[in-house]
Amino acid sequence: MAPLTARRIACRSLVPALIALAVAAAPASALQLAPDSPHSPNAGDMHTAYWVMLVLAILLAVAINVALIGAVVRFRERRGRVPERIAAGRGATRRVGGVFAVLAVAIFIFGVVMTESAREVEPSGPDGLTAALSRTAQVGVTGVSVPETQAAETATAGEEPPGGEDAAFVPQEGQPLAISAIAQQWLWRFEYPGGVPGQRTFSYNELVVPVDTAVVLNVDSTDVVHTWWVPALGGQVQAVPGDISQTWFKADEVGTYVGGGTVFNGTSFPAMVPRVTVVDPEEYQAYVEGLADDLAKAQETVRDQVSAASQAQQEAEQTP
Amino acid sequence: MTPPSATTEARPELVTRDAFAPQRPAWVERATSADHKTVSMLYLGAALTFLVLALVEFGLMRLQLIVPDSTIIQPETFARLLSVSGATFAVFFCVPLALAVIGYIVPLQIGARGVALPHLNLLSAWLYIAGGVVLYTSFIYTPGEGGVLALAPLSDTVFNPDRGMDNWIFGVGLATAGFVCFAINLVATVRNMRAPGMAYGRMPLFSWAATVIGYLLIVIGPVMIAALAMLTIDRHFAGVFFDAGEGGAPLLYEHLAYIFMSGIYAIVVVFAAGVISEVLPAMARKPVFSHRAVAASMVAIGVLIPLAWMQNMYSAPINTGFGYFAMAAALAAMVPIGVLMVVWIATLWRGTVRLRAPLLYAVAAASTIAFGLAGELAYSVIPVGWQLANTTASQGDTLYVLVGGAVLGGFAALHFWLPKMTGRALGEGLSVAALLGMLGGLHLYVLAMFFAGLQGQAVDVFEYAGGTDLSTLNLIASIGAFGFIVSAFVALGSLAHGYAHGRLTGHDPWGGSTLEWFALSPPPPHNFDAVPDVRSAEPLLDIRDSVRRATDGDGAPLS
Repeated sequence: MAPLTARRIACRSLVPALIALAVAAAPASALQLAPDSPHSPNAGDMHTAYWVMLVLAILLAVAINVALIGAVVRFRERRGRVPERIAAGRGATRRVGGVFAVLAVAIFIFGVVMTESAREVEPSGPDGLTAALSRTAQVGVTGVSVPETQAAETATAGEEPPGGEDAAFVPQEGQPLAISAIAQQWLWRFEYPGGVPGQRTFSYNELVVPVDTAVVLNVDSTDVVHTWWVPALGGQVQAVPGDISQTWFKADEVGTYVGGGTVFNGTSFPAMVPRVTVVDPEEYQAYVEGLADDLAKAQETVRDQVSAASQAQQEAEQTP
Repeated sequence: MTPPSATTEARPELVTRDAFAPQRPAWVERATSADHKTVSMLYLGAALTFLVLALVEFGLMRLQLIVPDSTIIQPETFARLLSVSGATFAVFFCVPLALAVIGYIVPLQIGARGVALPHLNLLSAWLYIAGGVVLYTSFIYTPGEGGVLALAPLSDTVFNPDRGMDNWIFGVGLATAGFVCFAINLVATVRNMRAPGMAYGRMPLFSWAATVIGYLLIVIGPVMIAALAMLTIDRHFAGVFFDAGEGGAPLLYEHLAYIFMSGIYAIVVVFAAGVISEVLPAMARKPVFSHRAVAASMVAIGVLIPLAWMQNMYSAPINTGFGYFAMAAALAAMVPIGVLMVVWIATLWRGTVRLRAPLLYAVAAASTIAFGLAGELAYSVIPVGWQLANTTASQGDTLYVLVGGAVLGGFAALHFWLPKMTGRALGEGLSVAALLGMLGGLHLYVLAMFFAGLQGQAVDVFEYAGGTDLSTLNLIASIGAFGFIVSAFVALGSLAHGYAHGRLTGHDPWGGSTLEWFALSPPPPHNFDAVPDVRSAEPLLDIRDSVRRATDGDGAPLS
């Protein structure tokens, strides 16, 4: 009787575990065991926190399950066994609670430290936008001016910079590059510093940023709640209409990083995939200047067409 | 020393309806009787119906996700299924299943002959059923596409102009109003109608869980009703509560909806904790390791988990201090949960554990919840939540808790207490096989989706690009999901068979120690002919002892 029961119990607990293992084993060797490998300091902090908590969670879950299933198997009903009527004294469970409380406090402190570390915007590195350009400026290759107004613009990140005559493409030394990411169903619009009078330069769905440069994203939405998430460059930020959320990253390598949304935002939810292309500062400079030129040309075309149209209308009115 | 007495004097209450009530057709009696047992059967039938619907909808969505870039289901249809299925599972199955068991068992456990406000109880059941009918009526035209939570402004008329969204809002609102009515009656009953001598320290643990759930519903129900009322005003009466352009705050809806959802999560955890804390001692033939610790832990869980609602909003534009507050509450909730786990293991320790269906389901529920809450521990740390919230990686641990608590815990409760409700024993072979299938399917699904989430798959997507590991992972997840769904149907079938055709059993099949096993199976309308005085947390044990003493030790135990 007893060995049969034991075998049955063994089967009961082993079969699902074996099935799961067998199915998981093949792909698990090829799978990534964490979110995309970090390419930004804040994503690095998240990566560390993830690994610590994953190991802790697995340890806890396995320990509890082994004890639970072990107790069931070990103390299953057998002939001649009498249950012992034992119960806790008043203090016994308090000690258990104390152990868990210490663990919870430790995790809380760890969480706060990692959060603060991930939130802190690091200064741009030596290959970053301002540093690289000031190097080239010293040898006089390009004559990019860095006006004082840019510092004020980044300091009041979140407010819509008007992008007037003196709006520049490059933040002041030590200041992060402030870019607005504005979500709508179902695409992202990125607005870069600088541009033509009355309008900042912008691109859709593809964000181009310079490498090794601290970029502050001001995330906003024009319709429903969206999420900004590029795992390699840091965590999620919700784009809530009427509120501006901020996140930052400093990409350490040239390349393209793909993200996605996580909060359901309507029928075409999976189609909203932001891409971050990280390029050299010079290339970034050329890119935004090109965008600005395109914008200026487009505005000129529109102006021409409008004036041509109004001229035609006036002529039509004058002709009897 | 005087032995604990077990007087069986009738309390001065009138029981009149038995012989004199006019005969009415059975279905009229089932639909309109204010007897808490009949009302609970209404709840139970409706909750299991919605479980079937949720499983079918889940199966359809997994069908769509078997292959990449699939076009089996249109994106609009998927969005509608998603919006309806989330509400169906959480609001129309998880909560009412708990309420069905509570409404039936708790009055019996506390030795009450009825409930304090029987007609409010009946009204609550019909409000809930009406809510479900309203929600599903939208399939006649166009269901809403607001997602699981109907987050504003997506659920506003600009983005969801169809009437189906109104069905969602009114359906969920009606059901929630029903739950609040139920909770008012429950709290009134527990506070006023306990058997003589049943102090709170002697109240059975499932009744403790029920009381916590009652207070929780009274707190979180109106929050959701308020949110839905504001949404309705926004939609139809030119309101601007959630219209950022007019000075409204979309974030407000997110707060209110997450308070409600965290409350439901806490209800499921506390319900499962109550069930497990009743089943394990009965099946191990031992008292629970610490009555006081379990009761205190359930109260603490009921307070702390809803307080951590902003754990779902780490990425929202809220003050970091609020994030720390949520993280602190979520981590603090791990203390009572850990204590519960240790108490359960200690309860089994040195007992004689009968490996019957209720015990196996209860242990499976505890094991699954342990997995889920360990995962929750990880995601409650802000940087981890920033990366993985709302991906299929973190969805797994929510599923572990909700499915482990409401489905496995619910089946544990039904296998344990259905013999009381029907007087019939349930067949166990099929149920245990179904349990294995459900566990295997669930773990397979969660594991595959965990890896998919690490690669960036979000919850609620209707497609994913091919050419990556996601194809394999989603295929595995779908196989797991189908395994789970089929097993759940087998378990439901086994339950239905036992309900109608099970062999007759006595009024105390498990040798329980609480008062519900003192009543007949099924209990008469007035529950007890005589209510014993309660002298400890295990009144039936006292009764058996005193009978043994009265018969000089050679009398058979009263079971």
